[in-house]
Amino acid sequence: MKKILAGPLPWVGPMLILIFAVVLWPVFEMLRTSVLEISSSGRERGFIGLGNYEELLANPNLPGAFIRTISWVLIVVAITIFISLFLAQLLNANFPGRRYVRWALIVPWASSVIMTATSFRWMLDGYYGILNRILLDLGLITETVEWLGDPESSFPMLIAVAVFVSLPFTTFVLLAGLQTVPGELYEAARVDGATSWKSYFGITFPLLRTSLFVATVINLINVFNQFPIIWVMTQGGPGYETDTTTTLMYKLAFKSQEIGQSAALSVLNFAVILVFVLIYLRASGYTKKEEN
Amino acid sequence: MSNKALKRGIAAAAAGLMAVTALAGCATDSGPQTIRVVAAQYTDDMQAYYDDLVTRFEEANPNITVEVEVVSWNDIDQKLKTMVQTNDLPDIGNLNYFSSFAADGLLYTAEELVPADVLADMVPTFIENSKYEGTAYAVPDLASARLFFYNKDIFEKAGVTEADIATWDGLVAAAKKIKTAVPDVVPIALPLGPEEAQAEFMIWANSNDGGVYSNGEWTIDSEKNVETMEFLADLVAQGLTNPTPATFDRTSGAFALFSEGKAAMLNGAIFLPGVLEDNGSTVNYGFTNFPTNRADGKSITLGVQDYFFGFKKDGNKDAVQKFMSFIFEPDNYAGFLKAAGGFLPATVSAGEAMSSDPALAPYIAVLPNAVFYPGSEASWPAVQGEMQQTIGTAVTAGADIKAILAAIAAKAE
Repeated sequence: MKKILAGPLPWVGPMLILIFAVVLWPVFEMLRTSVLEISSSGRERGFIGLGNYEELLANPNLPGAFIRTISWVLIVVAITIFISLFLAQLLNANFPGRRYVRWALIVPWASSVIMTATSFRWMLDGYYGILNRILLDLGLITETVEWLGDPESSFPMLIAVAVFVSLPFTTFVLLAGLQTVPGELYEAARVDGATSWKSYFGITFPLLRTSLFVATVINLINVFNQFPIIWVMTQGGPGYETDTTTTLMYKLAFKSQEIGQSAALSVLNFAVILVFVLIYLRASGYTKKEEN
Repeated sequence: MSNKALKRGIAAAAAGLMAVTALAGCATDSGPQTIRVVAAQYTDDMQAYYDDLVTRFEEANPNITVEVEVVSWNDIDQKLKTMVQTNDLPDIGNLNYFSSFAADGLLYTAEELVPADVLADMVPTFIENSKYEGTAYAVPDLASARLFFYNKDIFEKAGVTEADIATWDGLVAAAKKIKTAVPDVVPIALPLGPEEAQAEFMIWANSNDGGVYSNGEWTIDSEKNVETMEFLADLVAQGLTNPTPATFDRTSGAFALFSEGKAAMLNGAIFLPGVLEDNGSTVNYGFTNFPTNRADGKSITLGVQDYFFGFKKDGNKDAVQKFMSFIFEPDNYAGFLKAAGGFLPATVSAGEAMSSDPALAPYIAVLPNAVFYPGSEASWPAVQGEMQQTIGTAVTAGADIKAILAAIAAKAE
């Protein structure tokens, strides 16, 4: 007993309990639920093996949601990173009032995503939205448009809002990366006669790689899991035409009363996240090795 | 519960949790006990109503404590479901469906829930709608009926009268006149967004001899229903409705536009005048029967009833019964209806007392022609959920109506 108390267990014990309670046990419950038959009011009716998965794969709305999820994640993350590179560069430059611009950039991050999404939902409303008002007044459109009524216009809007809320975090990660680049390197480059483009691609970009990587993977996970924006603005509608697998998972459980299918989909979603995390771990290990 | 069971409970690994459950199970009918009620928030007055009711109930029954949680309509469905999923059952629930809980064997029968005299006083149609596989597992708490609302000022401007919109043909003609005469309003507000699309569908479909269920069979993808959706799609295509019904919800869309005088007609309900008042609307409105396209020329209404039901738990039956019969005492029930604001009573006696109320009389008059949701079918909640999400897409240009209805029908077991 004394030996145990003197060992590492008392120190890591609480952590182990925490990991078990908030990580491993829920994962186990999730896997277990996905192989049970569940009634529409949520009662367990016994083991049905892979039945839920079979039903899910036969669900006609899954392929669309899956393809949409891929484009959703790729487009949002790509645009976010691209814009953030510029913003980070801007905020790294010295100019009067820089501090205030940095503060301003935090606002979309600091306000709750539900709030942001609700604001956009009403700005884009067909009857009351400010966007229609502005476009009408400028003569760019002749009659009001239901921006969120048609997937062809609402999905790009969802992407725009997702980029908007992802920018601050990404920009600050990249900004932190920029600040670690030693100034002497630029001086040396200048002495050697490098143009600013050349020094950017020769010095800044390679040295940003680690922070770029962190920003990308964390964004991939965040955007993949993004629920409130889609839910508040379109509820995945009309029909299932703006659903990602995350919102579909929710709708299956709470609207379509298909709790089993929903559980199966959450396992699949979890698997996707796990892949992202593994890529992250692998690659961050890789960069570490290189540093050593 | 015996000592042995208690000991075993303590011996088990999850001793803490088990012991709590065991102790709760020990409460007998005579000992002090607590029952939990999850009630729907019809209006903001519900909480005050229940506070007063519970105070008086606890005075009369000192060994029973009642905890009432009044939950908004947005959340109550999920709240109850979560409680069922996590086995944290309340004692009494109040919701717009009950059958899936009955199918899982969780509910008391209506006979166990309320005394015989209270049950005998219930409107028979409502009890009929409270049955699952032939047995009533819930009691109606109140009901609502719908009528067709229109903006009198817009009608006047367009030269349309109430008599013109008795039929679908008349409705289309009137809508066209309105579109020409008052171009900046929506002639017919058509909220097929997820909030309440199933009600819209029920009204339009049944006005055309269609519907979702008849004579023990689901009829969701029937020819008549396809025809109904084609009619609605045609209205949309002609610009006689809001442009994107599939994402247009009842409260934030249809009711809001009508409140502002920007919609000429809509399927309204008994509670719409209250909504208009809350919105500070000054719209000069009238209401009439739904336009019909039925072979018999009769106009239908959609009756919607909500339920009280009791969850079976060890030793809670007596307290649940006492509280339920307390709610249905004439004065308390009148107070319930008053707090809920302008609904139809579920009991015959209260109905007689209220039939002279001019605001309710037109609704009580149309009730004989009311159609109801097939709430006694266990798969109705799933059908409803699917319909709410997808029926609106059936009126989009080029939609495959038959396939959309068939996909909804697939949810019916």
